Amino acid sequence: MLEVLLTREDANTEFALLAEWLVADGEPVEAGQPICIVETTKATVEVETPGAGSLVHLFAAGAEVELGGAVGLIAESESELAEARTRVSGATAAPEGDAKATRKARELAERHGIDLGSIEKRGFITAGDVEALFPGSTAGADAASAADPLLGGVSTAGVSLPESWSEDLGRGRLDPAFVELLRSEPERIAQLGSDEKCAAYREAGAVIGEGVELGAGALIVAERVVIGARVSLGERARIECAESFCVGELTHVGPDLELRCQRAFVGANVHGGRSIRIGGGGHRDPWATLAVGDLAFLGDEIFVNVCRPVLIGRETFVTQRAMIVTHNIGHSLLEGFENRFAPVVVEDRAQIGLGAVVYAGCRIGERAIIASNSYVVSDIPSGKLAIGVPARPAGDVQVRLSEQRRAELAHQMIDELYELLELRGHTVSWLPDAAVRVLRIESELGSGQVALLERADAADALPAPSAATESVALSLVPGGVEVPAGWAVLDLLAQEVRGDGGVVLDSVREFCRKRGIRFGGAPWRYSGGLI
Amino acid sequence: MAERCVHELNRALHELFVERDDVYLIGEDLLDPYGGAFKVSQGLSSQWPERVITTPISEASLVGVTAGMAIRGLRPILEIMFGDFVALGYDQIVNGISKFREMYDDQIEVPLVVRLPMGGGRGYGPTHSQSLEKALIGVPNVTTVAISEYHDVGALLTAAVEDPEPVFFVENKLMYGRPLRRPEGGYVGELRARETSGPYPAISLSGSEFGDDAVTISTYGGMASLALETATGLILEHELFCEVVVLSRLQPLDLEPLLDSVRRTGALVTLEEGTLTGGLGAEIAATVQEQAWEELRRPVQRVGARDGIVPAAPDLEAAMLPGADNLIAAVLSVSGARV
Repeated sequence: MLEVLLTREDANTEFALLAEWLVADGEPVEAGQPICIVETTKATVEVETPGAGSLVHLFAAGAEVELGGAVGLIAESESELAEARTRVSGATAAPEGDAKATRKARELAERHGIDLGSIEKRGFITAGDVEALFPGSTAGADAASAADPLLGGVSTAGVSLPESWSEDLGRGRLDPAFVELLRSEPERIAQLGSDEKCAAYREAGAVIGEGVELGAGALIVAERVVIGARVSLGERARIECAESFCVGELTHVGPDLELRCQRAFVGANVHGGRSIRIGGGGHRDPWATLAVGDLAFLGDEIFVNVCRPVLIGRETFVTQRAMIVTHNIGHSLLEGFENRFAPVVVEDRAQIGLGAVVYAGCRIGERAIIASNSYVVSDIPSGKLAIGVPARPAGDVQVRLSEQRRAELAHQMIDELYELLELRGHTVSWLPDAAVRVLRIESELGSGQVALLERADAADALPAPSAATESVALSLVPGGVEVPAGWAVLDLLAQEVRGDGGVVLDSVREFCRKRGIRFGGAPWRYSGGLI
Repeated sequence: MAERCVHELNRALHELFVERDDVYLIGEDLLDPYGGAFKVSQGLSSQWPERVITTPISEASLVGVTAGMAIRGLRPILEIMFGDFVALGYDQIVNGISKFREMYDDQIEVPLVVRLPMGGGRGYGPTHSQSLEKALIGVPNVTTVAISEYHDVGALLTAAVEDPEPVFFVENKLMYGRPLRRPEGGYVGELRARETSGPYPAISLSGSEFGDDAVTISTYGGMASLALETATGLILEHELFCEVVVLSRLQPLDLEPLLDSVRRTGALVTLEEGTLTGGLGAEIAATVQEQAWEELRRPVQRVGARDGIVPAAPDLEAAMLPGADNLIAAVLSVSGARV
């Protein structure tokens, strides 16, 4: 495709009048043929084609056109002609209906299936406008929280709250006499073994799933206790929530957790390190609410002060020694000192670096990354890397990957897996003459084969599974792939597990997790395997 | 499509020439078919050859001649091809034009207009890219006006010609080719617009219907579009709302539209294209802090060019002049952790 460009004749003139087309739109032209007349401030000029083909007008006669820009396109084939037509329609199309909607509004509308076109409003459409459309009875967490006085109006947009957040408050309510016992003689309960302790809480009304481990000396003092299956709380955990303590399945927290607030809702599959301290002097404030979304990572020795709501989204990372505060401390506000009490929101998939501090009132946007040791005193936009004291956006957190580049990275991954397994002392080899890449593993812990599927039809080329060999397919196929029976699939794009497996599946899953690919769809915790 | 700025100025000049026979245009290369370096004077010399005076390249003489014409009762408009070279006439401005009325006890006036294409962004290098408003606003008894694409630029030029005071009329090279974006039905795009009355109005624009803006951005001239684009981006991306106040008269300065906005937002960022030190932003910051200290949550932040020369290379020029990144950083720093 060729462009018919207007030459800029002097430095100060930027536009000219497209006076007349000499060749109609769609007609064939020869190279060097005059096709239109352009009037600049100095002269009337005939513009010639740079080559032969079909002419496509980008502007109608009478339009003001920019010098240096294109007035028309020369399509050299049918497909180029079609492409040129889409460029023309793109150039003249009216702005999209949701062009005036904010990113938050668009994301919220998409999540809740709301048509932005149904909002009639002059001016910008904000997340608040979309929230106002939520039906009252089935109000999502966003609308409910905005109306909840204990949340002080903080918006939950961009935060996927844990399931327990919207649960019936009657569930897991403890017998008041038992709560009284927990408060007056805490050690009596704390000293019990894990199973005895779970039994005692269950008997008093708590909802505690199967396989829960409460470490030695751990104690929960709360009026409501709801703990999902296979949760483990480390030794000496001390939890003191006036109202609710709820935690979703498979969440694991290391030793010496200290959690004090009015109500805590922790999601499923959350990983918490050791010596985590949540709650400070203001933990008795009525607004002291903590929410942590599913799959969040809370590092060792973090400190979260909760006297106002702290909402931490899904798949977030609050890494070692980070701090989140919801108030300052100091001298009299009547003397002009700052006196701040305000919530903190860490939106989904955001990351707070080692030792970073987030000050009261800040909101970290979705996927934003706070660099280590930064001090956040203002909102950080979604998708930005913020660094410094005070933290300022310094760049974007993601780059756009082409499909080809993504495939290259996946191949690199499977090469690295091969190398790692070899270094670990397992016997590895590539399946010879295969149409897909298949890595074979022989080990004392089990044998298996790991395939990389890039196209749906590649599944036909997979070797047959056998009972003694675990078969795991890593899929890069958009929309998923059907594989022969006996294969488990780790869908790298949807980040989902399909099918069952053993040590090989778990090891590959852990290998992927270390590259930030964390799979949902099946419960899992890695406790050693091939890597 | 809305009229382009250069056409609107040209139309206003034609109307002035029709309505007043005391209006003259004087400057370099004004005659048709060239019509001035930026084409603002196009068509005038053909219609009024005796009232369009094209001159040799000597800005010092031009400023003096124009002052003489004004003192003797005409309404001369001087076009200085590049505003940078107003510096050659600076002695006439400081020691003559600005002083005559008071020195002669109001017996004479100097009702001239000097049109000054200012600003960079076109790679014209150190001496053809500056924004020298700061050298004019510090001179008592001259009026400095800057146009923006949100203003009725023809009306501003007409008001300047009709003003009995000497008016330095700052235009912007990048703005000439842009279409005007006048408020329609009270809006510019999705931004609510308010305009003060008087010959040199200030235009305030708000993304939240003047309800909940977090920061006021004060600007003028060629920077107004940068302020509006940035404010719109902050709204769409982050729901951070700013009020933008686009001034047209820089001196004497009517602070009220700014104070009115700061009372709502509690935070102010000034934006100008000229070098930062001693600029209009400094003047505004000082005055707003005097008059509205208790309204401010944070110190006023200024954004302007670095204190240095404007390079010709595009990358270096962009690094020198204020850009969206500088403005966003300043807005975020004053918006603070407001909840």
